[in-house]
Amino acid sequence: MAAPSTAGLGRRLRAWLPRIMPVRWSRYNPSYLEPEVKTESYQKPLEELTEEEREQMELKAVRPIKAAPPSLSSSVFSDPMVSKFTNMMMKSGNKVLARSLMSQTLEAIKRKQLEKYHKAPENEKETIECNPYVIFHQALKNCQPIIGLSNITRGGKTYQVPVPLTDNRKRFLAMKWLITECRENKHRRTMMPEKLSQELLLAFNNEGPVIKKKHVLHKMAEANRAYAHFRWW
Amino acid sequence: QLDRGCALHTAARAGLSSVSSQDVPAQKPRVVFHTSESDPAKHTEQHEGRLYNIPLEEVKAVFPHGLPHRFQQQIRTFNEARVMVRQPALELLAYLKGSNLAHPAVRYVIYGERGTGKTMTLCHVVHYCSRQGWLVLHIPDAHLWVKNCKELLQSSYKKDRLDQPLQASVWLKNFKSSNERFLQEIKTQKKYMWGKQESTEEGRPLGEVVEQGLARVRSATDAVGVVLREIKQQSHRGSFRLLVAVDGVNALWGRTTLRKEDKSPVSPEELTLVHNLRKMLRNDWSGGAIVTTLSQTGSLFKPSSAYTPQELLGKEGFDALDPFVPIPVPNYSPREFESCYGYYLERKWLQHEKAHTEDGKAELQFLSGSNPRQLDRLAGPL
Repeated sequence: MAAPSTAGLGRRLRAWLPRIMPVRWSRYNPSYLEPEVKTESYQKPLEELTEEEREQMELKAVRPIKAAPPSLSSSVFSDPMVSKFTNMMMKSGNKVLARSLMSQTLEAIKRKQLEKYHKAPENEKETIECNPYVIFHQALKNCQPIIGLSNITRGGKTYQVPVPLTDNRKRFLAMKWLITECRENKHRRTMMPEKLSQELLLAFNNEGPVIKKKHVLHKMAEANRAYAHFRWW
Repeated sequence: QLDRGCALHTAARAGLSSVSSQDVPAQKPRVVFHTSESDPAKHTEQHEGRLYNIPLEEVKAVFPHGLPHRFQQQIRTFNEARVMVRQPALELLAYLKGSNLAHPAVRYVIYGERGTGKTMTLCHVVHYCSRQGWLVLHIPDAHLWVKNCKELLQSSYKKDRLDQPLQASVWLKNFKSSNERFLQEIKTQKKYMWGKQESTEEGRPLGEVVEQGLARVRSATDAVGVVLREIKQQSHRGSFRLLVAVDGVNALWGRTTLRKEDKSPVSPEELTLVHNLRKMLRNDWSGGAIVTTLSQTGSLFKPSSAYTPQELLGKEGFDALDPFVPIPVPNYSPREFESCYGYYLERKWLQHEKAHTEDGKAELQFLSGSNPRQLDRLAGPL
């Protein structure tokens, strides 16, 4: 991948197509725009567009567009949380396997809940949630810790200091705990979809080892309240 | 895989007996895709695209083996077995209804691309025949007999053939559970010796041969051979009608992955089960029909794009099965797709909120290409 030539400094920001096309993770020229995948934005007729949208459309006609990453999808069924979770489950780049495991997990959750639904008496049927995506999101939300611990060294000793967490970090920790719990603390011969669906259903009901781990973390943070002033950010 | 039948349930279609007792709310303009006609003999073009219900006890009696795995999972989840009435099955049923049983058995070969519903068509025909009181010889998957066999015994009957006791005993068990009454009616016509001491006399019911095969696993394969021979010889008398239903018939004329003890490969005719089944598939007997399915999915050493009879059977198989009536099974028509989609929505299988929209439906149709198996796989996680 050759870097674009620096000759023609005056025309740097104008659109030009180099002989060798840049790949997604290399440095794009700032003139490149992000791709738009939502089908709704292309289906609007010209009259309904506002001024800014018209300008944006004209800009897109003259500027080059970055390559769309493979994880960006225009499907109505795509969900960024599910994609993130699938990526975290992936090993050695085997996205096909990770994605099939994820879809088998969602199907397993749906089957278990539907069986419960059909066996339940009429008045309890509304309380049973059968949508695997709702269960997945709720389970992840229940697993997210509110406060975390970070190691700060003062005077030679390392203290565990309670520290607020960003949203990204909370989501990451929830997903990481779920996956590690399934990989390590279960019987060797159980399949991943089975283990994961069981864990997700437990987390949805605020039970299970992952919720326990979250509570343990909260207790530790509460116990180490005294060191909270060590934090300087 | 799933055969879905769709039926427009409008009041104008008074002639149809298609009343669904499902709780469809009156304000939704959705059409209902069921038919209450659960006897395949009465299925006509009017029922095409509709789903008919098989009562669960009948499923256990008629299909101890033979239903695809995903369909069995679906039966467990939805608590009902709904099979779609499709055009290839209707064609086959029409041929069977009009067939002359005094003539030699006609062979039908159901073929099509992967996942279009060949096995389900076969199951529909098997259900019809068992309702009509035929004796059904259903081999769920002939590929299971030519691969992954743990025990291969040298046959005591013929020196150069090989026995498969496990596969034979499994098949005998399922055959017994689906055809109890015939096993009491049909009598053996000659004496059979099982080893040095045991024998079955002439005139004993066939059930004894099956019991012998189940009790002594070593002679299970020979028991299967005896059962097939007796049934074939007595079918022309007219006391019962015989249906030979084989799924994955291209396994009988392909190659096997089995090896003898000296690591030389086994060819299919050296296996007793395959040899006897091939004799069954010849059209030198009368009083029934032979319905077979080709299958690339479990096949050995065949490219994944092969689906026509010529490609999958090879020269030997094609010559052995020739002449046969080919029955192609296509993907879902738009009407059948609507019906399948509506069924999934109604049973709450499609839970994603976007799946209920027109966009979601269009996306499902595009991604699956109206292929029944792909649609089933896609609708799983949604």
